[in-house]
Amino acid sequence: MPRLSGIAIHGYGVYIPMMRIKASEISRMWGGSDSELPVIEKSVNNLDEDTVTMAIEAASYAIARAGISPQKIGAVYVGSESHPYAVKPTGTIVAEAIGVNSRLLSADLEFACKAGTEAMQLVMGLVASGIIEFGLAIGADTAQGRPGDALEYTAAAGGAAFTIGRTSDSVVAEIEFASSYVSDTPDFWRRSYERYPMHASRFTGAPAYFHHIVSSVKMVLDEGYSLNDFDYAVFHQPNTKFPFAVAKMLGIPPKKVEPGVVCNLVGNTYAASSMLGVAKVLDQAKPGERILMASYGSGAGSDVFVIRAGDGISEKRAKAPLVTDFIERKRYVDYSLYLRARNKIRG
Amino acid sequence: MAWRHKRFRYRLVVWRCLNCGAFHHYETSICRRCRSNRIAEELLPSRAKLVTFTAVKNPPAGFESQAPYVVGIVEFEDGTRLLAGITDCDYEELKPSMELERVVRKLTQDGESGLIIYGYKFRPPIKKH
Amino acid sequence: MRKVFIAGVSVSKVEEHWSQSVDALVTKVVADLTDVRLRKIDGIFVASALAETLQNQGNLGAIVAEDLGLSGVPALRVEAGDASGAAALYTGYQSILSGISDIVLVVGVEKMSDASPEEAMFLSSLSERYDYVGYQGVTESSIAAMMYKVYLEKYELPQEMVAQFPVIMHENAAKAPHAQYQFKTTLENVLSSPVISPPLRRLETTAPADGAAAVLLCSQDFLPTIQHDQIVEIAGCATSTDIVFPFDREDPLKVSAASRAFEEALARAGVSRNEIKVLEIHDSYSILANLILESIGYSEPGKSGLDAKNGMYSQGGKPVINTFGGLKARGHPIGATGVYQAAEIYMQLTRLAGSCQVDGAQTGAMINLAGLGSAAYAFVMRGA
Repeated sequence: MPRLSGIAIHGYGVYIPMMRIKASEISRMWGGSDSELPVIEKSVNNLDEDTVTMAIEAASYAIARAGISPQKIGAVYVGSESHPYAVKPTGTIVAEAIGVNSRLLSADLEFACKAGTEAMQLVMGLVASGIIEFGLAIGADTAQGRPGDALEYTAAAGGAAFTIGRTSDSVVAEIEFASSYVSDTPDFWRRSYERYPMHASRFTGAPAYFHHIVSSVKMVLDEGYSLNDFDYAVFHQPNTKFPFAVAKMLGIPPKKVEPGVVCNLVGNTYAASSMLGVAKVLDQAKPGERILMASYGSGAGSDVFVIRAGDGISEKRAKAPLVTDFIERKRYVDYSLYLRARNKIRG
Repeated sequence: MAWRHKRFRYRLVVWRCLNCGAFHHYETSICRRCRSNRIAEELLPSRAKLVTFTAVKNPPAGFESQAPYVVGIVEFEDGTRLLAGITDCDYEELKPSMELERVVRKLTQDGESGLIIYGYKFRPPIKKH
Repeated sequence: MRKVFIAGVSVSKVEEHWSQSVDALVTKVVADLTDVRLRKIDGIFVASALAETLQNQGNLGAIVAEDLGLSGVPALRVEAGDASGAAALYTGYQSILSGISDIVLVVGVEKMSDASPEEAMFLSSLSERYDYVGYQGVTESSIAAMMYKVYLEKYELPQEMVAQFPVIMHENAAKAPHAQYQFKTTLENVLSSPVISPPLRRLETTAPADGAAAVLLCSQDFLPTIQHDQIVEIAGCATSTDIVFPFDREDPLKVSAASRAFEEALARAGVSRNEIKVLEIHDSYSILANLILESIGYSEPGKSGLDAKNGMYSQGGKPVINTFGGLKARGHPIGATGVYQAAEIYMQLTRLAGSCQVDGAQTGAMINLAGLGSAAYAFVMRGA
């Protein structure tokens, strides 16, 4: 049944900034309704945080959990739509900061919210081929929404990193299957030199998010898996509603989705979103339990993975902070402090 | 040029005098305290204790948008003291000898088009379950 | 051994001289020295800490020589941070002592008003190591604030034991025509002024200012040409350096460079500490007044505040400090400050101090620091 063998997650790590703004505070600002807000609150990066700094912290936990020397890392890929530089890689700064040596493959990836899972695919390929022993796949974003836009309620900041290598005793999890489904679907985009993205409103739903995730999950089922094989399902989380809605379409009960939901309290962390969800599940999964993971990136595509928790999960879990540790570390800001922190005040 | 100092600023690589124990944040061939030439690279630990601290309310050029921000002196287990920015914590929340951990943060940038400067800061450790 | 004397001084009012360029400030202040002597000048030492940054101007030696119509005369610029002025004096002193020069002009000049507040904050931290301090946005005033905090904690003192020094400075400056702030203030005012870096408040620091000061040094060969009561001898001078970052020192509260330089200067002058009647100290931050007075042996550690409160450092005490207001109230035009200090001691010892005059001032001294004590210059001077 499994199409892959010998690929494992040895360590995982996340980072979520401390500041939060409540969706109701954004709604208050724009005179919106308090009912049916897309999330409860979202994370806000501070002025001294960006995709680089969040990637560094998440990656350092992913290495700590793997229990390996940074010198053994052969690839650092960072997926993001908010790389601080248009030209100059995030990956090399991250690698240098966590002490990876220079014999390294590194690149920045962009595929909207699935750039992080794209990094996973690349690292898995390099590990499977024997080109590298371990690699870091990182998704991190400081997502921006135009003030007053619907995106402003959810566009959040966070990072997640997986240390991927060949299977050995007591890994965090094995990756049994991976695939991807993409098509040219213009639901959300940002042109060069533009500060905020544009989106096609309700077009982001059926033909975009739902079509691509349903299609990628079908590839898993075509491979011989049944939905009963999964204890957890993690989907990209642009808001709290979508992951449950796509689960319903697929016939997956909400209780399998709930453990991996971070969006309600963190917002949409874009390239980190589904990886953060998987990290939250890995924080609680027992050895042998299976996770169905499907990311979604606008433009559009969905990476799908079958992940089975390994024997080392509880020992390695303890070596770094949990997702809930970050979710509970919070300080609320009002809309004016939020504008300041996100550098949205322009003279 | 910031690049030259990346190992110190990102990871706290320092140059330690093997004779008297003085540390240098720069590569050197002569100990600044005892003039020994026995200098070795060392990685400072990621945890330290706060010795003293203040806040910068009148920032220098390049730091205007961040003020007020907290700076302090931290001390490692071996007694090494380091000047550090302190983040994710207000001045009022800090207490002498509280434990802090090292992170890498964006310090400043050379305008909108220039380089971004990253470096170490310290913050209260993440509370673990 | 040759002896070195001060034959005349001149100071401009410390303020924002918006319309005055460096050239205008320098020529004005030097013009107030008599031009007969100017023709004999065989060395010019120009102190400035920031001219290349603020006025895009280097090579101030040749430029000032030309300004003064003295092209041809050996001239150079001296930079030692806040201690540039004293460093230029020291260089001029050495030049005469060596026999190379006989009559030397020392000019200090700084125009801080060309800086924005943020630039000024950056520039006032230039004496600290940029690659350790400045790059992370740490200001010199914030380091001074931490020294302040550690001091209050160590000796379990109320803030007034430090914050009263600015009050004394303003008291003195109120009568000084060339001072930047010619008014008195109160402890309440100081302690309610805005916090710069806790516990340091704005009225415990200096503000950007422009100023120029000039001192004419000569060897004994020229004494006959000068009126006897207008001669002051540089009886001893010395300089010392220290680890730059205060918290890298053995004791961040000890200004060792100042204590070493002062001891040495006293020894060279053959003068005892108790003979010093007027003393200019480097109070760029209130706490430095405490730390200097304790480091150079006038007050016991932790006791300078109490001594000051008891009047030891005010008119009638001994030594009277910063008789024209010091850096705090006369003003701190960075590279010119040391030259102002020398000029002020000269005025005291020649009875030219006007309403700031300290009775019976025969012997005086000055201490000029770079940064937070990474370098110190001490001069001991004797009146005729």
